[in-house]
Amino acid sequence: MKKIVSIIIVLGAGVVMWLVPACYSLLRPHTDKFPFVLYSQLDSDFIAFRTIDKQVHYEDFHGQVFTKAQADSLLPLFAYRQLLAEGRMPDSLYGYELTPKLIQRYTFHFKTSPRQLHKPSVGLYTMLESASGSVDLTLPPDVFRLTDDGLEFIDCETNALLPAKSRSFTRELKKKGFCFPVQCIWGNGTTRKDYDNGFLLSDSQEQLYWLRMQHGMPVVFPISSDNTHGWKQLFTMEPASHLMIGLAVTKDNRLYVIRSPHKENVPTSVALPIECYNPDEMQITIIGDLFHWTVTLYTDHDIRYYALPSDAIYYKDSIPLTLHSYIPDPAPTWQQKMVHILMPLRLHFTSYRTQRIFPTLNDDGL
Amino acid sequence: MFQQFFYKEWLKTKWVIILLGMIHIGMIIYLMLALRSTLIASGKIETIATMIGRDMLFITPYMYIPLISSVVLALVQWLPEMQQRRIRLTLHLPVSMGLSIGSMLAFSLFALLIMFGIVACLLVVIESIWLPRELIVRALLTLGPWFIAGLMGYSVTSWIILEPSWGIRIVWLAIGAPVVYVCLISSQPACYDHFLPWLIVLACTVTCLPFYSVYRLSMGKGL
Repeated sequence: MKKIVSIIIVLGAGVVMWLVPACYSLLRPHTDKFPFVLYSQLDSDFIAFRTIDKQVHYEDFHGQVFTKAQADSLLPLFAYRQLLAEGRMPDSLYGYELTPKLIQRYTFHFKTSPRQLHKPSVGLYTMLESASGSVDLTLPPDVFRLTDDGLEFIDCETNALLPAKSRSFTRELKKKGFCFPVQCIWGNGTTRKDYDNGFLLSDSQEQLYWLRMQHGMPVVFPISSDNTHGWKQLFTMEPASHLMIGLAVTKDNRLYVIRSPHKENVPTSVALPIECYNPDEMQITIIGDLFHWTVTLYTDHDIRYYALPSDAIYYKDSIPLTLHSYIPDPAPTWQQKMVHILMPLRLHFTSYRTQRIFPTLNDDGL
Repeated sequence: MFQQFFYKEWLKTKWVIILLGMIHIGMIIYLMLALRSTLIASGKIETIATMIGRDMLFITPYMYIPLISSVVLALVQWLPEMQQRRIRLTLHLPVSMGLSIGSMLAFSLFALLIMFGIVACLLVVIESIWLPRELIVRALLTLGPWFIAGLMGYSVTSWIILEPSWGIRIVWLAIGAPVVYVCLISSQPACYDHFLPWLIVLACTVTCLPFYSVYRLSMGKGL
């Protein structure tokens, strides 16, 4: 019976370690410590939108405070609708004639977090038609799975394999040098987008490929890259500019942009001057416009901001860093310090890093 | 002796087990019919794309059924034993407590496992007509923690009912309920995939808890 008593004590301790911090987490005030930040080329600085007492305050990283109208003027590509409504929109900026169409074409938002990436994968993918000629994308009649030696398409109506289509896609990939099995794959299976950029894949040799379906046939491009460390994470994107296919993260945490084929007629990749982006640990937000990308990385200790010139990202061989800054996380409050003293062991089954349920100790960011 | 205990428990709980079994089978058939209806109404392509893209499996209403049925089974099995003090007669039989109580617990756990096995088999057989194997594996990985919640729910309920003292029962409830809830924190498909082996170990561990209550009962504590 002593063993059973020990089991009851261990279970009881586990319940206390789990539920007491969980109750504290529900009771403590949640403050928004992350301001929304954009780079302003006109101010040559980042402008932060801080919400304090339900009021939005605008200031740059040098402490200069702005009114909303001033902030709108400093961020004309972000606030162009407001400026147009007020008749304050500049006709041109840095040699570009600013029209809503041009602004929309180059503006994109990208956001992902470890929690979005770490979830059980279904292992089935939908390959949309990339050249349907139709404005509205439609779902294909089949899905595909990855095998050790190729792709396997399954007809959704009959739940039967499609050997001819599977052979066709596998053969085309192998013809372009793809070595199965697939290491990484990413595609946006949704039809709620303007066009389809297919899939980015990396093979067993860590070579990167771009796969699309055009008129029912596979189109494969190898993507040149100077990365020798292998690929950890791929993201396919469909920006309105059509200038890039997506993003790729290397196993040594460098972020690459995969450019659409233009001059060389093959897609190319270029590293962004960001020292470390670990998709397993960090949330990332990218807001791109005609002139700059504002990249925000949320790490365990701080928030890092990078401003990168758009034209270099899309067209140049090397990308300079326009500006880099960071905001350290606020020092722990006395309540948080007390929590660490009173509850040195905190058991969690959910995490901001993953959608999986798994027990972890002290993984709460308290 | 093992068979006699099984037969005794079968006589005592057979109608409840049959009723619970019918509820389980009826529920899974209803969910499969609902899935078939969605496949016909929305189209197979759209439904499968939704299942892939939006993490849907159409079995979420079944989530709490294993737990509820196991609690009902434990109540039906142990409440009369405790109220009419028949458990004391069982403990006075010339067999060990492990064999007598163990057989009674094993009977119900075995009955629950058969119910869950039938549900899993029905799901695999029916879904394999329409869906690729990846979605079926995902459904089984989602069902897994719910089944374990059922098995742990039975052990914890038995542990609480067999405890002779009301005060201690509340302590066992405070420990047991969160332990069972660990299996039901999230209904997201397959989100327990890495944790499932550890949950099985936890369920096996929890199975021994009712023996402690019976031990306290046999020692005359709390009376």
